[in-house]
Amino acid sequence: MSKKNHPIIETNNLGKTVAVADGDLTILAAVDLTINRGESIAVVGASGSGKSTLLGLLAGLDSPSHGSIKLNGEELTDLDEDGRAELRNKWVGFVFQSFQLMPRFTALENVMLPLELRGDQHAKKTAVDLLKRVGLGHRLDHPPMKLSGGEQQRVALARAFVSQPAILFADEPTGNLDSKTGEQIIELLFELNQEKHTTLVLVTHDTALASRCQRSVHIDAGRLV
Amino acid sequence: MNRLGLALRFLRRDALHGELTLLILALIIAVTSSTAISLFADRLHRTMNLQAAEFLAADLVLTSSTAIPQAWLDESTKMGLQQARTAEFSTVLIENDELLLVGVKAVSQAYPLRGHLKIMAGHDAQETLQQKGPATGSMWVDKRVLSALKLNIGDSVTVGEKSLLLSHIISYEPDKRGDIYSLSPRVLINDADLPATQVLQPGSHVHYFFQFSGEAAAIKRFNVWVKPLLAVSQRLMDVHDDRPEIGNALSRAERYLGLSSILVILIAGVAIAMSTRRYSERHFNSTAVLRCLGCQQHDILLIFLYQFLILGLLACSVGLLLGWFSQEVLFHLLRSLLPAKVSQPSLIAVLLGFLTGFAILIGFSLPPLLRLKRVSPLRVLRRELEPLNSSSWLVYGLALLLISGLIFQYTQDLKLMLSIIGGGLLALILSAALLYGLLVQVRRLLPRLSLSWRLGLQNVLREPKASVTQILAFSITLLAMLLSFTVRNDLLSDWQQQLPDDAPNYFAINIFPNQVASFKQQLQQQHIPSADFHPIVRGRLVAINGTAVQQRVSKDSQGERATHRDLSLTWGNHLPADNKTLAGQWTEPKKGELSIESKLANSLKVNLGDRLTFSIGSEQIHATVSHIRSVQWDSMKPNFYMVFSAGTLNDYPTTYITSFYLSDNRKKLLNEFVKQFPAMTVLEVDAMLKQIKMILGQLTAAINYLLYFALLAGFSVLFSAIYSTLDQRIIDGALMRTLGANRALLRHVHLIEFSIIGLLSGLIAVFIYQLVLFGLYHYVLHLDFHFNIWLSMLVPLLSATCVTLAGLWGVRATVNKPPMLVLRNH
Repeated sequence: MSKKNHPIIETNNLGKTVAVADGDLTILAAVDLTINRGESIAVVGASGSGKSTLLGLLAGLDSPSHGSIKLNGEELTDLDEDGRAELRNKWVGFVFQSFQLMPRFTALENVMLPLELRGDQHAKKTAVDLLKRVGLGHRLDHPPMKLSGGEQQRVALARAFVSQPAILFADEPTGNLDSKTGEQIIELLFELNQEKHTTLVLVTHDTALASRCQRSVHIDAGRLV
Repeated sequence: MNRLGLALRFLRRDALHGELTLLILALIIAVTSSTAISLFADRLHRTMNLQAAEFLAADLVLTSSTAIPQAWLDESTKMGLQQARTAEFSTVLIENDELLLVGVKAVSQAYPLRGHLKIMAGHDAQETLQQKGPATGSMWVDKRVLSALKLNIGDSVTVGEKSLLLSHIISYEPDKRGDIYSLSPRVLINDADLPATQVLQPGSHVHYFFQFSGEAAAIKRFNVWVKPLLAVSQRLMDVHDDRPEIGNALSRAERYLGLSSILVILIAGVAIAMSTRRYSERHFNSTAVLRCLGCQQHDILLIFLYQFLILGLLACSVGLLLGWFSQEVLFHLLRSLLPAKVSQPSLIAVLLGFLTGFAILIGFSLPPLLRLKRVSPLRVLRRELEPLNSSSWLVYGLALLLISGLIFQYTQDLKLMLSIIGGGLLALILSAALLYGLLVQVRRLLPRLSLSWRLGLQNVLREPKASVTQILAFSITLLAMLLSFTVRNDLLSDWQQQLPDDAPNYFAINIFPNQVASFKQQLQQQHIPSADFHPIVRGRLVAINGTAVQQRVSKDSQGERATHRDLSLTWGNHLPADNKTLAGQWTEPKKGELSIESKLANSLKVNLGDRLTFSIGSEQIHATVSHIRSVQWDSMKPNFYMVFSAGTLNDYPTTYITSFYLSDNRKKLLNEFVKQFPAMTVLEVDAMLKQIKMILGQLTAAINYLLYFALLAGFSVLFSAIYSTLDQRIIDGALMRTLGANRALLRHVHLIEFSIIGLLSGLIAVFIYQLVLFGLYHYVLHLDFHFNIWLSMLVPLLSATCVTLAGLWGVRATVNKPPMLVLRNH
């Protein structure tokens, strides 16, 4: 098996159940999914189908009720929250629908942050280069409030790629943007993805966007279909 | 990871965006208050003790009937204390064919260690202050000595075998003791002349007073060191136990200062807890992103702890400066009342203020900060995910520990501290449960109410637990202000009552029975208010239930002292008005019955029904204890350890005593009294009374300023606390306006919401207040507890008004600004 066909994510019978007033509610059930290194995959489904829950579990942001997840060979369910945090910092990047930038930090500081958390001595130079790469070289010292939606998402992209993650999770990255800006962001996302050889897991309800990925999986009522 | 760098960046950004204003304000108030009060209390305490020490002419006095071992004096020198010695004894002077029993006091070179003497060079000469006693070879005497022995200044007077030059009249002696019944005219001589007089022979009746002064810590050390070495006839005195009238006032004022300090710290703590809570809530999202990017829980905690430590250092430094400045201003404002020599602030008090500030910061801010550690990284996907609260024990435990520590520091009483904390907690839990129940019940009424009432109440009821916390926080702040206010009022009125303007300033003793009626008439004619006339027979307590009294008393106790001297025994079926019955009864006592003062009874282990034996002259009489009472020794009226039933002491030689008030401009009447009743002795306690009144005046002013300080801190914190809860209300208001609510409706809704919160806070504050006050008065301040109904009604109304005004001011943006702008900015 070539290195490229090495699975970077493997789930086995993954499920998430939450307790509600009249019993248990299953949000996700029996998900078996393998994602290979360098692959781009879209998780498609309607609102409330369980897409974001799946993304949260795959990225180690949440723990499953049952089943297992291996991320880059490490069993996530064996790790505590701090162990998962360390793993995220090493291998995972995120892009969110609502950008999730630090409101008080400048664009540059936002992008530097993951590197600083790693203790990288060259955080500033790397962050500046990447911000220039996403076309924001002139906006380095602007706080998020003073940037347009598109610009904020570019900062978010730069922040996601700056730590050279092995895998990037993108949750409806164009959901808060107009179609033209959305397209520009997607172009940039795929470009960077190719440049950095990152595995991409894209959650969307947009089938056109999903078709840009090498593979799509559909989710409905918490099950892969 | 450079957590410190990240913390600094967060801090800078938050500061620039005004996120930290509330928190910094609360912290600065906390540190300023704790430093100002700690410094002020410490300086005032030391200044007052210094002044009060004048009454002893030293900080500590060891009395003894013999010279004390040189090793003791050496030890005190080693501890850095200064020493002086006085020896007091009675002797008879014979001059110009006249005889006079005088009280001689031989003083060493360093006397007085505290305070000063006042002398006059002649009858009408100016008084001058003296820091030393008479020089070798000379003597100073009371005016009475001159007239009684027909002497003039410059004459030679022989004391024992030594002839001394009468150089001055002594008009003020700081440590003139209050044993007014045994006072004889004073003769002050130099210690160095004492041996030459040859008055003191082995077995002579003499009292030595070894006086010490120095740093408080050294005095305490020496006290502890020497106490176990004391013989039965030796005892230690400091101002607290030797002069109850001063000691009581000082102790109460010190307790008030301690109480104020705890209350202000509590207020500031509540403010810090509330503003940290707001701060941490506003950082949930950023924290979730940090967690998402790989920050571990302890990294998050460290990043925020660093920020708070830096913040604490800055705010504590500013608070320290402001605190220092505030106490300087306080002392400046009080300068006309305080003695010219004011103690300098101590470094320990500064450090204590600083450390207290830090401890409050950590104790009250850590629980909300710990919540940040628990923010789930999943919040980046689901904004509604709130971090779990830390365990309740941890949340409240730290703050509770801190407050307990402070209470213990001020009360030095573990049982008392536990009862205050236990009682307070119980009251809080009870109030929280009542409030929670009330809010849940009110929910049922909602469907029947008008829209504005429904919306207003819904804001309070939406999260009953959060509302209960908020209301309790306000209640604690109000409670603290209320306690400070009430205790101060009662303390002052108690002092006022203790020493009214016309408190007696003269005692008349040795009034013969056949002179009582005419002296009474004299006083009445001159419109001079006087206390009752009490008969006195001098006698000594010798046995209790047939056992010699010395076998029943412990060393250095009040009982021991009372049995070593003659007591003034009186009789009567009516007791002085300020005496209170503690056991038994005194209505129409039978012949042979006795009423005893409670503290002495306690010390002598005397109970109702015990049979006491007294020796009066060469005879012995017996009486049975049928009544035990408390006595207000500081009333400046004649008071007695032993009161016999009428008729019991009839057969013994009797004189009478009374006290009266004479204003300065009527003092010449005294000469007429002395001429008319030559055997009577009039003792002036005016100087002492004036000094006590001055001390009380200073304490009153200081306590007033402290109250203003506490109230100021309370109000600013109350307002900032309201502000810290406005975020959600502003967003809700903007949303309501987006949905079409008009401004009048919104105002009405806010009015209802805030006035209900204010009213409930006020009601709970008053409820806990009554409970706490009872405990406080009964156990700490030893004052009578009075239920104040007006205050109990006024506080909830005032609280409702204040909270409503502050709340309406805070949410005015919702009402006045376009909702879009409000929503975007939040």
